[in-house]
Amino acid sequence: MSGAALRAGVPSAGSRIARSRIARSRILIYAALVLLALAFLVPFAVVVLNSLRTNQEIAATSMIGWPRGLAFGNFASAWDGFCMAGHCWGIEPYMLNSLTIVFPATVISTLLGALAGYSIALWRFPGDAWMFGVVTLGIFLPEQMKLIPWVIVLRDLGLFNTLPGLILIHTVQGLSFTTLFCRNYYVSIPPDLLKAARIDGAGFFRIFWRIVLPISPPILVVTVIWQFTGIWNEFLFGVTFTSGAHQPVTAALIALSAAVTTAPQFGVQSAAVLIAALPTLLVYLFGGRYFLRGLTAGAVK
Amino acid sequence: MPTTEGAARVRAAGPAEPAAPRAVNRRTPGRAPVIAVLTQLAIWVPLGLTALQVVGFTIWTTWVSFTPSTLLPESGFVGLRNYVRVMRTPNLQIAYVNLVIFGVGFVLLTSALGLLLAVLLDQRVRGENVLRTIFLYPLAVSFVVTGTVWSWLLNPGIGIQRLVNNFGWTGFRFDWIVQPDRAIYTLIIAGAWQGAGFAMALFLAGLRSVDSDLVKAAQIDGAGPWRMYRRVLLPTIWPIFITVAAILLQFAIKTFDLVRALTEGGPGISTMLPAVVVYDFMFQRSELGRGAAVAVLMLLTLVVVVAPFGIYLRLRARRQARA
Amino acid sequence: MSHVTRRGVVAGSAALLAAPLSGRAFAAAAVTPRLTAISQWSAGSDGAAITALGRVFEQHGGIWQHNPVPGFTTEMMNKLRAEILAGNPPAVSQLKGPEIAAWSKIYPTINISPWVQAAGLEPHVPAELAASCKPGGHWIALPLQVYRINTLFMSVPGMKRAGVTTPPKTWAEFNTVAAKMKAAGMTPLANGGIRWDDGMKFEIALAGISPDAYRRAIMHLDTKALRGPEVLAAFAQLRKFSSWMDPDIAAQSWAVNVPAFMKGDMGMVLMGGWAQGNLLHAGAKPADFISLAAPQDSGPPCFDLNADCFIFWQQKAADLKAGQTLFAQIMMQPATQEMYSKITGSIPARTDVDLNQPGFLDGQRDSAQNLRAAIAGKRVLLSLAHNMAQPNGTTAAMIDVLTEFVHNPAIQPPDAQKRLVGAVEGA
Repeated sequence: MSGAALRAGVPSAGSRIARSRIARSRILIYAALVLLALAFLVPFAVVVLNSLRTNQEIAATSMIGWPRGLAFGNFASAWDGFCMAGHCWGIEPYMLNSLTIVFPATVISTLLGALAGYSIALWRFPGDAWMFGVVTLGIFLPEQMKLIPWVIVLRDLGLFNTLPGLILIHTVQGLSFTTLFCRNYYVSIPPDLLKAARIDGAGFFRIFWRIVLPISPPILVVTVIWQFTGIWNEFLFGVTFTSGAHQPVTAALIALSAAVTTAPQFGVQSAAVLIAALPTLLVYLFGGRYFLRGLTAGAVK
Repeated sequence: MPTTEGAARVRAAGPAEPAAPRAVNRRTPGRAPVIAVLTQLAIWVPLGLTALQVVGFTIWTTWVSFTPSTLLPESGFVGLRNYVRVMRTPNLQIAYVNLVIFGVGFVLLTSALGLLLAVLLDQRVRGENVLRTIFLYPLAVSFVVTGTVWSWLLNPGIGIQRLVNNFGWTGFRFDWIVQPDRAIYTLIIAGAWQGAGFAMALFLAGLRSVDSDLVKAAQIDGAGPWRMYRRVLLPTIWPIFITVAAILLQFAIKTFDLVRALTEGGPGISTMLPAVVVYDFMFQRSELGRGAAVAVLMLLTLVVVVAPFGIYLRLRARRQARA
Repeated sequence: MSHVTRRGVVAGSAALLAAPLSGRAFAAAAVTPRLTAISQWSAGSDGAAITALGRVFEQHGGIWQHNPVPGFTTEMMNKLRAEILAGNPPAVSQLKGPEIAAWSKIYPTINISPWVQAAGLEPHVPAELAASCKPGGHWIALPLQVYRINTLFMSVPGMKRAGVTTPPKTWAEFNTVAAKMKAAGMTPLANGGIRWDDGMKFEIALAGISPDAYRRAIMHLDTKALRGPEVLAAFAQLRKFSSWMDPDIAAQSWAVNVPAFMKGDMGMVLMGGWAQGNLLHAGAKPADFISLAAPQDSGPPCFDLNADCFIFWQQKAADLKAGQTLFAQIMMQPATQEMYSKITGSIPARTDVDLNQPGFLDGQRDSAQNLRAAIAGKRVLLSLAHNMAQPNGTTAAMIDVLTEFVHNPAIQPPDAQKRLVGAVEGA
């Protein structure tokens, strides 16, 4: 169903003039795409180039420049070399910390969001319209405002400074988004399908399990990507609700960039940034196609 | 937002399909109560968590905004003092003006760029996967990181300007980031770079789900490619424009990392945005009450901006339901 | 003073081990001392210094549980606030200036005056700094290190290029030198673009014009002094600075300008003593630059002081209490302060440490000498931009005015002065 230009071009394909016009417009299209792609890649390229330059080289010249040699050592010291908080083990352990936070929080918030989206979209219950409004409001609340309330909540739950506490925060913070994504996907399920299931005696859970979940993968991919990257890149809650060696990888990145009394470690910092961005980049690289498919399948209708 | 548009849908669908299932179970009588309870739990636990957070935290913040809280939340009532004080600071006034400039500029530029990318990618191009990933990757990386890179690029002394000057074009100037009245536009540029991929994905998703019969009919009418977009495809996917605008607006209002990584609010205090002011008062200045007041003002602004939009959608849904 | 001379970092910690500490005996008798600590020092030389301090603590038999919160001071305070709200603050945490007094009101601290007396610390600490550590009359916090804010760094190649032979001693001389540098096609001031950088320029100007006016206007917020001619003159001087700064710095750290400063394309830096660390790490030789006290219009140089302290929070657990005792004793040792300052480039908070030993640089020695003289002459001032003079809320409101003034040439000094008064009143 895509490619309006091509589609429109097909009937007149017999004419030579039309064909050359199409060829010209194809060239224009590719030229525009390549130019835009290059522009989008500039910040990434700067980081890659800096990750291959030594700190001395960057300090002596400029933040943007071609590497004189290839300082692969930056990657080694970024991964398990540089010292932070008295331990010289690089960002490796902090990567693992982030993974142990991001996996449970992503999975739980996605599942609960699917359940909530299903409830709002397909079941009538008292106050459902209000609930929808509240969930929508949730995506607009600034994070900064929620910091202290979360401290109080975690303290009262006895989860302060614990991993489950941080997972709870990311789960609940993410619920607004996952619920909305799922709800908007589920509203397009044909009502007849549900009617038939109900006549067969299927209840809330059976319909969810047998009908809703099996058609959910596209939207679940969208919410998983959304949650994974959001939680992975989070800093404020990550440093406030963890301690020392349990901090997430964003804390390590900030620590690397905030050494005021030393020369900035731009080379190592860039290498660390690349390593730390790898999981989310991979998620987009492999999930990007499904991301689009999930959106196409109904999230935006 | 998928959301708001979806809201219209369910409302539109509501009266037309009164047979939507109810939370009652007709199976074996003995298990019915248990399952009914479980059903209620499944409905209310996730929604309850969300509601507790959204409503609870909002009420809490509103309460704090009327107290003399500084380092920690304290009880006591100071009326509107916090509001009066923050509204008198140039910081908040500047932040509001900036929010309008940034909000409008960011939403327009990002959706325009996203739409352009989507239309280009919709031409059955080779290497679509690679290109799409390139346009999407800014979303994957934290702005704490990419903002730092942008602060280098936009810096006239070490970034693009210096690079172009070194190539020989010595008169070239691109120093918006050091000009108090232009720096806000650099935030728009970096923000658009980050958000355009998402807008592109939504537009592309929309373009790809347009009914093929519609396209064929237009082709038979002899519509050329640009006419096809202008007259058929884009009007058909117009709800997506609203979705994109709403999602981007939400980003714009919450913008915080971008400012901290790129300008730190400067030059001077010319690139303050409301979310930065909230954080600044609450935590840097240890004026919790005043920070809360700014947060409440932000939410009120949001209601004022979004409410007409919601009312419009509701009216439209009602009209559609009647039709 | 002599017992700590000529020892390196390692020797310093060895000396510490040898020093008799009552806490150690106490620890051996009862529980293993343990210390929970929060600071913002995680990487770089700050991270290295606090880690070395932790090693010393461990060598004395303690368990060191340091939790650095990276980023800005604000994030560190968020963490502290969260722990206090949760009813479980660390045994000690990094805090400075009037914030020590402010935070001590929201959670109980412990009275460490007996330990301070036993160690004989008080006579060796500047009175202004001591005052910030004992807001209620008794000590609740201990100083770790001191930086001089009013420090001028001159690029030796830059001086040659502009034909400058001697560093300026007064603002008038400074202005002449800067104009010469400008005429030679240089950028006279290598500055950073972060807001405290702008605030710092103002405070250095005012401190150099009149330490007395600084004390009244900035430290005591005396309205008459704030409206006085010295503050107005400081704004006029700040306006001059702004015309000599790097216009392209945006929000970058001044360290971005280090290469230009080393080459002589930029001539001078007005910055705290840590700038020396920036220069040396970037590959500068001590002969490439000179550092001295910033210009002073009358009298000997004042000392605009920035210091880092640790506050002691009340604890219930016996091992944490023992840890606090041990930590306080270690921290007050001249050898510890010596070791710490050698790593960070600061000067020890104890003025009785002899810096004429390897491991210290001339800049540090000059600062320490300056501090001793300033104490004698009652010319010690507390830094505004580094949160020593006022609580954070007031400081931020004042710096808003200063940074706006620097970046908006349309604002005239008298107008800026009015705004500053307004900011103080509204804060």
